Amino acid sequence: MESNVLEIKGLVKDYPGVRAVNEVSFEIKRNVVHCLVGENGAGKSTLIKILTGACERTCGEITLNGTDYCARNPKEAREKGISTLFQELNVVDQLTVEENLTLGIEDTICGFLRKTDKIKKIIAVLKDLEPSINPKERVSRLSVAKKQIIEIAKAVAAETDIIIMDEPTAALSESEINRLFTIIKRLREKGVTVIYISHRLDEIFTLGDYVTVMRDGKHVATKPIAEVKDRSELVQMMIGKTVIESYTPKEKPAEELLLELKDVCNHKLRNVSLRVNRGEIVGFYGLIGAGKTELARAIYGADDYSGEIRLNGEKLGKSPEKTIRAGIALVPEERRTQGLFTLLTIKQNISAMNLKRISKLGMINAMQERNTAKDYIARLNIKTDSMDKETSKLSGGNQQKVVFSKCLFANADLLILDEPTRGIDVGAKAEIYAMVRGLVEQGKTILFFSSELPEILNSCDRIFLLYEGEIKAELQNGIDINSQDIIHIVTGGTAS
Amino acid sequence: MSKQIEGKNLPLAGKISNESYLNRVMFLVLIALFGIASLTIGNYFSTATALNLIANNWYIVILGVGVTFLLVSGHLDMSVGGIVAMAGVLSAYFCQPANEGFSELGQGLGMPYGVAIGLTLVCCLVIGALNALFIAKMRVASIIVTLGTMSIARGVGQVAALGAQRSAGMPDIFGVIGNVPLFGPIKIAAAIAAILVIVALYIEKNTTFGRRTYLIGANREAARLSGIKVERHIALLYLLSSLLAGITGILLASEMKAGISTRGTGFEFSALVVTLLGGASIDGGVGSVLGMVIGAMILGVVSSAAYSMLLRPEWQFILKATVTFLAIIAQRYLLDRRSR
Repeated sequence: MESNVLEIKGLVKDYPGVRAVNEVSFEIKRNVVHCLVGENGAGKSTLIKILTGACERTCGEITLNGTDYCARNPKEAREKGISTLFQELNVVDQLTVEENLTLGIEDTICGFLRKTDKIKKIIAVLKDLEPSINPKERVSRLSVAKKQIIEIAKAVAAETDIIIMDEPTAALSESEINRLFTIIKRLREKGVTVIYISHRLDEIFTLGDYVTVMRDGKHVATKPIAEVKDRSELVQMMIGKTVIESYTPKEKPAEELLLELKDVCNHKLRNVSLRVNRGEIVGFYGLIGAGKTELARAIYGADDYSGEIRLNGEKLGKSPEKTIRAGIALVPEERRTQGLFTLLTIKQNISAMNLKRISKLGMINAMQERNTAKDYIARLNIKTDSMDKETSKLSGGNQQKVVFSKCLFANADLLILDEPTRGIDVGAKAEIYAMVRGLVEQGKTILFFSSELPEILNSCDRIFLLYEGEIKAELQNGIDINSQDIIHIVTGGTAS
Repeated sequence: MSKQIEGKNLPLAGKISNESYLNRVMFLVLIALFGIASLTIGNYFSTATALNLIANNWYIVILGVGVTFLLVSGHLDMSVGGIVAMAGVLSAYFCQPANEGFSELGQGLGMPYGVAIGLTLVCCLVIGALNALFIAKMRVASIIVTLGTMSIARGVGQVAALGAQRSAGMPDIFGVIGNVPLFGPIKIAAAIAAILVIVALYIEKNTTFGRRTYLIGANREAARLSGIKVERHIALLYLLSSLLAGITGILLASEMKAGISTRGTGFEFSALVVTLLGGASIDGGVGSVLGMVIGAMILGVVSSAAYSMLLRPEWQFILKATVTFLAIIAQRYLLDRRSR
């Protein structure tokens, strides 16, 4: 048997105007955990799509077990020996574990199901991987982690050569992650190669044997994990430039009250009162469900509330249209469903929040709109070959920059950012942090809502901690800030 | 993604938007169908045929304008056919002479024609306002509401015409506007349709009103969060659509010098079909008036060719359905291939 299970040579994938995968060549050894890392838009997902048959390559060779490999759809890929554990799991909730395992490969007589040795074999594989799953159990009652194991068992029973795992730990708890890791190590003993994709770099060091780094569609390096010094070396390879900056307290401007909340309550919020001065970056940190998004939306007028919110002393109206006019803009939590018009072009997205500024008496000035788009594409470094490209075709980071452009063009004094860096790559994150600082220097005020503590600590002057819809503490950012205390408070502990 | 390629390497198709790409394809289909018809049917290739195409399809185009804007915003309007019938009957009823006719059907309200038209349009706007209230404000699915208002409008027409038609004792002025000849078979109504199309084309692409329609259709929630008054805009679109349907009904009644309560049956479906033929998406955010006009012409060519080939009229439905299916499947296929 060959020592390489998969060889990729000169692989290219072109989309109109963009080369998503550019001359990628590397090998994957048999019986290893091979990690694939890179920022969003680096070409990982396109590479995986080609392997699983979800899209066609433009040119290049792929060899599986020494023979030429080409799959036209995920089913064909599975038959040829490449199974995939997608983020969206492929199990039928209404059926039992056993029925799911045999789905599509049942033995039948005239359409009636028959119990055969095949089922026993698959269940033996499952028992071997995770004895606690009862084959008669309905899948809807299982956790995400156990559903994953069912899919893995199915792939193993089909004697697959390779299992691709795309961010398998994204929805798992700590103990479930450990169990998954044990299973992955067992797979390696069983002769299965795992291609492991994750944004959590620590996992790669605990789990991986080899790592392949991709950047801008190109292959950067493939080497044994043992030869990678540390995390920062990996980050260096991924982004190609250093970006991490830390918080530097800036000179305090003259105190001028901009935003004031008094006893704001709604279905989630409980008596939120706070004051924000002009020129501040104020962070709001809490776990998922702490009420961050609800607070952001209440200030923006997107949700109803009782109590009072004043901007520059004036009471704010309760609709986005009114708050935008008062000088507020929101970068919403869900980029695709709340922020972006994915069917429309970059140009049309950028002008959407302030059509008045590019029109006169309801008539759009096309020149002005194009110039605006050109300006923001250059200023925010949006990577595209045309301003008339549909935003659905951009990577996450570039989409987020379009949403930012839209809000900046609204010419707001106060910008509310709700999870502005979710699902975007390290490089684009750094650009967004830099932009936030630049905006404050121009006299804007920022409310920064995030569930990632490092970015809150990096960017914000003042931090509010939220728990169960209440503000539990207010901290001034500085050297003496203790992240342990913060975690203690946002998980429900009392402030000391 | 990442690496950009120099302009010269770009595939040609990548340079124009999906919308203009589809419009071009559908225009070629129109030319091809016309060509095939001209080759197989003697005398088909003539100015008269072309003029008849316009003369026989203008009303679908007017209705199509309103339906296109609504579909782009993500909403259906099935009430337009009913409004056409209602407007025709009411405009006749309002200006038929009072206390003069021998039968009930000859009895009207004796209003001057101008007032009758104005009042008819107000009645149509009431139907539009009902649509707006239930769909924009109360967020009921547009298909349900407009199917209901379609019945209401047609019902009003039926009641006002006692299930038949109003044509007795009509003042002469009633038959004028629908019968002003321009050239050949083309009357002023077709010119009104043409002007409406030109205005709609401008509004669609060059005004904030048109842009907001696309933004709402592409993502209603994002539009709301971008400060667009979504409810008001949808309400306006429904009022506009009912107004256009009212105008259509008045013109058709004038052309026939009669308010016929069964007029406009199936018009709502024809208007929807030509809009879809023009490349609009039933989910909103995509579509164009230009495409709709091309779609209407395609459907017109198909039915006139079928007629010339002496195909019995009852076959027309199946023929039209086949063309529509083929066209929409082809569009889907081309767009999927394009984005690969």
